[in-house]
Amino acid sequence: MPLLDIKNLTLEIDTGTQVIKALDKINLTVNSGEIRALVGESGSGKSLIVQAISGATPPNWTITADRMSWNGNNLLSMSEQQRRQILRKDIGVVFQHAIASLDPSVTLGEQLEESLPEQLIEGSWFWQRAQSRRKEVIRTVHKVGIKDHEQYLQAYPHQIPTDIGQKLMLAMALISQPKMLIADDPTRGMETTTKVQVLKLLSRLNQTRSLGILFVSHDLLAIASMSHSMTVLYCGQTVESGKMKQIRKRPLHPYTKALLDSAPSFSKDLPPKSLLPTLPGTIPTLQHLPIGCRLGPRCPRAQRACVNVPSVRKIHDHAYSCHFPLHREKV
Amino acid sequence: MTRILFRYFVLFTLTLLALCALSFSLIYLFPAEPVTTLTGITPQNLIQHEALINQYHLNSNILVQFGDYLSELFAGNWGVSLISGQPLSKEIMLALPATIELSACAMFIVVVIGIPLGCYSGLRAYSNADFTINSISVTLYSVPVFWLAVIFILTFSLQFGWLPLSGRVNLLFDIPHQTGFLFIDILLADNLDKSAALSDAFLHLILPTLSIALMSTASMIRITRRSIIDVLNKPFIIAAKSKGLSSRQIFVRHVLRNALLPILPLMAMQITTLITNAMIVETLFSWPGIGNWLIQAIYQRDYSALRMGMLAVSTLVVMITIAIDLFNRLIDPSREKFESVTI
Repeated sequence: MPLLDIKNLTLEIDTGTQVIKALDKINLTVNSGEIRALVGESGSGKSLIVQAISGATPPNWTITADRMSWNGNNLLSMSEQQRRQILRKDIGVVFQHAIASLDPSVTLGEQLEESLPEQLIEGSWFWQRAQSRRKEVIRTVHKVGIKDHEQYLQAYPHQIPTDIGQKLMLAMALISQPKMLIADDPTRGMETTTKVQVLKLLSRLNQTRSLGILFVSHDLLAIASMSHSMTVLYCGQTVESGKMKQIRKRPLHPYTKALLDSAPSFSKDLPPKSLLPTLPGTIPTLQHLPIGCRLGPRCPRAQRACVNVPSVRKIHDHAYSCHFPLHREKV
Repeated sequence: MTRILFRYFVLFTLTLLALCALSFSLIYLFPAEPVTTLTGITPQNLIQHEALINQYHLNSNILVQFGDYLSELFAGNWGVSLISGQPLSKEIMLALPATIELSACAMFIVVVIGIPLGCYSGLRAYSNADFTINSISVTLYSVPVFWLAVIFILTFSLQFGWLPLSGRVNLLFDIPHQTGFLFIDILLADNLDKSAALSDAFLHLILPTLSIALMSTASMIRITRRSIIDVLNKPFIIAAKSKGLSSRQIFVRHVLRNALLPILPLMAMQITTLITNAMIVETLFSWPGIGNWLIQAIYQRDYSALRMGMLAVSTLVVMITIAIDLFNRLIDPSREKFESVTI
């Protein structure tokens, strides 16, 4: 059974003047011990998915889904109390803007201690518990690659550099020893060596503790090496999902192909000084979404049928939604 | 730390100096003879005139005069009242505590009622409870203070006769003046039915306090509500929710402190409004405070009293403003410690 199973997740945002369908029938599963990459351009709704799963949604959002379950329990119908328990014990979330996601008036050490669930603290007296809490915090901070814990645990969020903030967010998510980690661009803007450290840490946790990871990023190079499966998102629609290897070898959706081609290291036989292949145009804003397949206006293979939303088709566990996929001849 | 304190001290001194210069310039700006406005004594003959001019160095350079003025101020010689002939320092020391007492009680009500109500309505933003609280506070905010005070007098004193009409305490109680704060004076006094005096003083306090507190409470509710709503939309609240903290934990640990920090400087501004309103209300309730005293001085063209009253009230306001700002600086971790000091 998958850890996280989402089917046809739709998110509508009421802006007051109109209702925007920001996410349109998203399908996503994360199995235990699997690293699932969620990729897409900025504005494709990756962070919205993260926020919808973590349950902290503004009042003007409406979330509907055919299925959104954690370990077989429906996340949408359970009480707030139960959902909070699951988030506390089983799911760790790393948000995209690390510094903004830290409370500016509380020291980082306190914020870390607060994320530590009660059952992981040893001792029965309060001083023993305080000591155990502190030990656990320092251990986790070291694990994510911050050596100077004395300095940073005392600091306030505005006093630390961004990459330390990102690592602390990661520590905060990992300290509760969750079964699944949702990481929204945890390596954003890091320099390569630090990035590699973080990625190594994540894949090690995945192997040793069979931590399921939903890795949200647009950094294809980082993801390709470590993740087992991939879901490609375009403009709030799932475009293609399947095993990483299969998708890399033979993408079925024109968008996935364009995405892979635009990363130079994936296309080996690229002659020097040649133009990098890209799709024309840019991702549309949420206010001006095209009907049907949202890639339509930019798609090289688009035809009249594309004004209807394509249904999900499957070849084994490789799912795609396209009327004219790449393995069929152009009609 | 010492550096911050030093900076605030410098700011305070400079502001005071500017205020002193303003009050000094009033000596020449008032439509009376400088000797009279400075000392409060109207010279009866030329010899006395000459003597006063010599005593206060009024013939020398203006800077020397100012220096002399400052040293007299700090020595406690603030001149005498033109009308009553009493030393101004004594009169101000009698009147100022009454105003402080009134404003402090009003501020207490503002904080105790305004902040919790504001938090409640911020947390339940855009619900019916929120709309109710908000519309009541907007209505109260729009009511003029002097009108409200008169309505209070009409209703509660004249119509129902529940509360006393004017003054600080019934004249039957003979309370010796010690600190100027009535409640402390009552507790210090002997040969007095203390509980009767206290309850009487309390009854006298209710109407004037309410009439100035209501408007400030209304604005405090709205400031707090806005601040809470702003904080609730911050990403770190989303992060806290995704950590699985309960709403109570989130409110106590993350919302409250971040919402109250920006309110503090606004509170300092509220205090000045409060003191201004207190001065208006004092006149209506014949409260023997500095506002009432100043208005009397204006009626009687008591120039020396006006000059010193202005200085005393503005010093009080500057002191409170700087103290609150310093306090805010000390407890707000996100403000850079060496950022320059401003009000």
